[in-house]
Amino acid sequence: MANATMAAKCKACDALSYPTHFYCPSCGMQEFEPVPIEGEGKLLTWTRAHALSLDYAQRYITLGIVEMDMGVCVTGQLAIDEPRIGMRVQAGQDQVRETSGQAIYGLVFRAK
Amino acid sequence: MRDVAIVGIGSTQFGRAQWSLLKMMCEASHEAIADAGLKLDHRAWEGAAPGKSDGRRIEAVYVANMGAPRNNKMAGIGSALVDRLNLYPAAADAVENGPASGASAVRHGFMAVASGMHDLVLVCGGERMREVNNLEATEFVSYLSHRYAEYIYGVTLPALAGMFTRLYMERYGVTARHLAMVAIKNHANGVLNPRAHLQTEVTMEGILTGPDAENNNPYVAEPLRFFDCCPVSDGASALLLAPAEKAAEFTSTPVRIAGTGQASDRQVIHERPDPTELTAVRLASQQAFSMADRKPADVDIAELHDAFTILEIVESEEAGFLAKGEGHLALERGETQIGGKLPINPSGGLKARGHPVGNTGVSQIVEVARQLRGDAGKYQIKKKKPQTGFALNFGGFGNNVLATVLTRGV
Repeated sequence: MANATMAAKCKACDALSYPTHFYCPSCGMQEFEPVPIEGEGKLLTWTRAHALSLDYAQRYITLGIVEMDMGVCVTGQLAIDEPRIGMRVQAGQDQVRETSGQAIYGLVFRAK
Repeated sequence: MRDVAIVGIGSTQFGRAQWSLLKMMCEASHEAIADAGLKLDHRAWEGAAPGKSDGRRIEAVYVANMGAPRNNKMAGIGSALVDRLNLYPAAADAVENGPASGASAVRHGFMAVASGMHDLVLVCGGERMREVNNLEATEFVSYLSHRYAEYIYGVTLPALAGMFTRLYMERYGVTARHLAMVAIKNHANGVLNPRAHLQTEVTMEGILTGPDAENNNPYVAEPLRFFDCCPVSDGASALLLAPAEKAAEFTSTPVRIAGTGQASDRQVIHERPDPTELTAVRLASQQAFSMADRKPADVDIAELHDAFTILEIVESEEAGFLAKGEGHLALERGETQIGGKLPINPSGGLKARGHPVGNTGVSQIVEVARQLRGDAGKYQIKKKKPQTGFALNFGGFGNNVLATVLTRGV
């Protein structure tokens, strides 16, 4: 099922990073606490991709980069018909891909 | 460090290969070897001690390629090329650095000669992408994205370019018309280059403003359309490197590798402080210009990495030729055409010459050398005796970039 997508919170300086790095990009320490990526954010940019991998049966998928209010920036899918730069969006989890019959879950954003 | 010269160049026709990957690389290498007037004496070479030969035999081979293990079921193609060309006991290496493999391999060859480790080095870039279908080719290139933060979402290189382009258009006033102008220019250049993959002109009406434009030019990753993206190509290119002081033994038209730069950046765009900045392009270019003791204003001809039309515009800014936000204005003024102030991609660029991914950086440097030698035929730039050229090879989506400054003569 859909587990939350996790950012890494540095135990030394509290900085959030996503995806994870071996050393904290802010202070260089190595101890992290996983923090679920959730809540609202602002859409920075988006695309509707029509040339897709064989893993997708749909004609297109919509992808975007979101600046989350929790202080981390993420890439995910958008379940939004008419995305606009700067719009408010809500993070959720849903299926984002199916590889060899196996469903893969990740961040899917809806309009707020 | 010693000065290093390109003393021979070669390349195949780009497009859909009639030959295997290795055969393409052999043809390009053979042309470069012949161009340098080098006589191969295989029987004398076999059994020779590896290492320096005072430039009498090819001592090391660097092969650039990205997809052979997946697309062509071959690995270790550095040694495979040495075997096919009977270059034993040359040191053989394959360099995989995504779409920047080509310039990476040239840089390795440069370092081998500059350091004094080797006197004669062959660099060959080859890619045969069309052994698999287009969807599989797009899929294999998308492995460059971050597996968990990008790839699982269906992110492809065109999708990253689409998100980048939308933000760039919003901030800097670049329009779909500007993007189409890059495609129109580079297709027109490709018509003049007999080795180019695409040798067809396109018009603004045909791809953007006319009644059939939607059908001719559908979206690939909005706002990027079909003609904003490079084709999936096969092709190989090669060059031979020697110390500058020995260049005259091989050629009367040597080209010096005056500067090389390489920089990396965050893998995922969303982690970059400003996702519209291509920091690695800026840093690699500055490093190459500084090493060459040249300025962007000295450059007479540039081959930039226009895998997507937007990249030619943005790279022309980040490399230092134009201020941020002015690349599309220079394009509008015609400054980047073959007869312009700074011709960009006279060979057709990735857009029309083609983009055999691992090969591209080698072919860009070969094309700049061809222009500096005055050997580009119909696509020779109009300036008389160009002195300085520039090539920019862009890996991933800008997370690993190489810049090379070339100068005429030694």
